Amino acid sequence: MKRIDYVSCLDQMYQSQGFPPYQWSEFDSSPWTPFDKPLNQACIALISSAGIFRDDQKPFDPWAVNDLSYRQIPIETPFERLKLHHNYFDHRDALKDLNCVFPVRRLEELAKSGFIGSVAPEAITLGMGRLYKRTALQKETVPDIAKALRKQQADAVLLVAA
Amino acid sequence: MMAQVRAPRNVFVNFPLGRPCGKPNDAKLQAQILKDALGYLAEAKTPGEFADLPYQWDESFDWACYLEDIEHMLKAEGAEVQDWKPKD
Repeated sequence: MKRIDYVSCLDQMYQSQGFPPYQWSEFDSSPWTPFDKPLNQACIALISSAGIFRDDQKPFDPWAVNDLSYRQIPIETPFERLKLHHNYFDHRDALKDLNCVFPVRRLEELAKSGFIGSVAPEAITLGMGRLYKRTALQKETVPDIAKALRKQQADAVLLVAA
Repeated sequence: MMAQVRAPRNVFVNFPLGRPCGKPNDAKLQAQILKDALGYLAEAKTPGEFADLPYQWDESFDWACYLEDIEHMLKAEGAEVQDWKPKD
């Protein structure tokens, strides 16, 4: 398949529906922390934005707009107890196997085989949808998540954008 | 999108949206994609750099397919289409 320019396609679609141009996040530099630890000693955390929650947690809105909330899911949670609410992408493959967007079983195996040191005990999930509150995301949600990850002593984070 | 946001280290898998870590029930492919992504964590030297992973999606897929798939999914699940409209 050829690459899809989702940004342009989404712009075109929503503007043709009468929405104002979306203010995409765009940065010309990146923060950088050298990664010095050997991978096989590192604790890797997982963040997935596929709208996954545990059956006793507040569900995500599958058509979320401005949802800045997140859930923390212990990685050993059986997939039978997890649900996925996200309609902005075709989630049918993910429902067949959540590892497509929430690869905790694979990460556990990589820890077991010694490829990574360990998996941070609680994965972070978001639903988000369309966001028009970038400042709140950056100043409230993100610092909260960073705090939770530090508490778990994560050395690096795998961000899976669904 | 990845190039605009510039997370510190990025890997790109050119699969249809919703399968960033590989195909369902293909543990081997999923593990390989994760190994590549995590390996890149240690290898990347330049902030904002990204690597294209070599995996190919067997079928053709484009923007029209993306929209059709969502339509089929919503119909099959009896879910509502999004009713959020722009403000007048």
